[in-house]
Amino acid sequence: MNTKKILLVDDEKGFTDVLRLNLESTGDYEVKVVNDAREAVKQTIAFRPNLILLDIIMPFLEGPDVVMALQENESIKNTPVVFLTATVTQEEVDQQQGIIGGHPFVAKPTNFEELVSSIEKNAGMVY
Amino acid sequence: MAEKEKNVVNFSDPLSVLIVEDNEVDYKMLSSMLKDESYKISYSQVTETLADAVKALKEKSFDVAIVDLNLSDSKGELTLKEITEQFPLLPVVVNTGAYEDDLGLKTLGYGAQDFLVKSKYTAYTLIKALRYAIERKRLELELKDTMEQLSVTQRQLIEAERMRIIGGLASGVAHEVKNPLATILYGVTYLTDHVQVDDEKYQVVLDNIRAATHKANNIIVDLLDFASLSRLNKKATSLEDIIEKSLSLVGHEIDKHKVSVSKEITKDLQDIVVDKNRIEQVVVNLLLNAIYSITEGGNVHIRVHNGCLSSEMIKSMGLSEHYFKNGDRYLFMHIEDNGSGIKNENLDKLCDPFFTTRRAKGGIGLGLPVSKNIMELHEGSLCVQNKEDEGARATLIFRTSL
Repeated sequence: MNTKKILLVDDEKGFTDVLRLNLESTGDYEVKVVNDAREAVKQTIAFRPNLILLDIIMPFLEGPDVVMALQENESIKNTPVVFLTATVTQEEVDQQQGIIGGHPFVAKPTNFEELVSSIEKNAGMVY
Repeated sequence: MAEKEKNVVNFSDPLSVLIVEDNEVDYKMLSSMLKDESYKISYSQVTETLADAVKALKEKSFDVAIVDLNLSDSKGELTLKEITEQFPLLPVVVNTGAYEDDLGLKTLGYGAQDFLVKSKYTAYTLIKALRYAIERKRLELELKDTMEQLSVTQRQLIEAERMRIIGGLASGVAHEVKNPLATILYGVTYLTDHVQVDDEKYQVVLDNIRAATHKANNIIVDLLDFASLSRLNKKATSLEDIIEKSLSLVGHEIDKHKVSVSKEITKDLQDIVVDKNRIEQVVVNLLLNAIYSITEGGNVHIRVHNGCLSSEMIKSMGLSEHYFKNGDRYLFMHIEDNGSGIKNENLDKLCDPFFTTRRAKGGIGLGLPVSKNIMELHEGSLCVQNKEDEGARATLIFRTSL
C-alpha cells in the first residue's frame, strides 16, 4: 500500500511532534513538519505532499496567506489543504458540513480518527 | 401634535377634588371656595378620616386631594405617607395650621406637591395651588419615567460592553487553550496505542487524561457559545417543529432514564420569528434538566398555548415591568416534570453562570444562563419555578406579532 505524504504546518512544536507520531504509527503516512509558516511553500515544492494540514493563526504568516502563496505557484497550486485550527468549534465546522470559506476545516482538538477520516477524504494525487 | 398637547397644563380642564379635613370650619370654607363657577371644579367631596379618604380614593379617581395631616385616625406625616404610598399618582396639597410653615415645607419632602396655610389662602391662591400641584405631580412622574428608561438603557449598554469583553476574552483564551489540549489529546492517543505495559492502571490513567481533556474542551466550547450569542439568525419557524427536533436530540436520554413525555399543544399555532438552532438549544437544555431531575418512570409534560401576560405573572416570573406589560400577547411554552424540584436556596442562583448542582456528573453551569440570554435576545424570557405539588416548571415566553 502506498503511503500518503502529509505536510504539517503548525507553529506549535509540541502539537506537531505528537501528531506526526500518531500519523506515522498508522503506517499510512509519511509526515513532514514545518513549524515556520514562511517555509511552507518551499517545503511543499520539495516534498510534494498529497495534502497539507495547515494551522491558521501562526506568527510571521497566517494559514490563509500560505494558501494564497501556494496558489501563485503553478506546480503546487492544486495541493489539497485542510485547515486544522483552534479558532473554530466543532459545532461551527459541523454546521458548515466541514467546509468554511471553501476549504475543509478540522477543529482542534478533534479525535484522531476524525482527523484521519478528513485526511482520507481530501488527500489528492501527487502531481 | 396630540402628544404635545398632552404636555401642556390646561387650566380650563374641570377638576375633581377630594378634601380630607375633620375641622368643620375648614372644610366648609374650602368647599365654598371651590364652588365658584369660574374655577371649574366639576366635583368635590369631603371625608373626615383617613380611612374614609382611602375608601373614596379607591372608589373614584380624583385629580387632586387637599389633606389635613391631623385627623382622628392618623396624625402628622403618617397621614401623608399612607396616602402617597397607596396612591402614588395622586397630586396632594397639604392643609397645615396657621403656625406650621416648617411642617408645611417638610411635607414637600414627604411627597406632597404644595401646602396651604390655614386662614392665609384665598380662593385664587387655593385654585392656583391645586393646578400647580397637578402640574408638579405630572412633571415628577415624567421625570421618574425618564430616569427609569435611562437606567434600563444604561444597564443594556453595560451588558453589551460586558458581552463584548467576554467575547474577545473567550475567543483569545479558546485559541490558546485548545492548542495545548490538542497536543494532550494526540499524546494520549499515541500512548494508548503504544504503551506495551501489561498493567490496567496505565490505561485507567490515560482514559482519565482523555476524559479531562474533553471536559476542558467542552468548557471552552460553552464559553465561546455564551460569548457569541449576539449573532442571531432569526426566521419564521414553527415551535412545534423545534419541539420535535429537540425531543429527537434528547431521545437517547429519554430512553436511558425511562422517562415518558406527554404534549399538550394548542392547534393552529402561529410561527415565531427566532433563531431555530438557538431555541432548540434552549429546549434541549430544559428537557435535559427535567429528565435529570426525575427518577425512573417519571414524566415530562410539554404545554404550549397563546395567552396574555397578567400583572401577577410579570411579578411571579420576575419579569422586567419595563419590557413586559400587563395584557401583552405571548406564546407560552411550559416544560413540567414530576422530579425532585429545586431547593429554595438555589432558586435565585439557577441562572448564575457556573452554578450547577450536577458538577460531579459533569455539569458546567452554563445551560440556564445561556438559555435565559438566548430568550432575552429574542425579546422573550425564561423562568424556572417549583410546581405547586411536585417537580419543577420551566416557562418560555415568545413575543408574537399579533
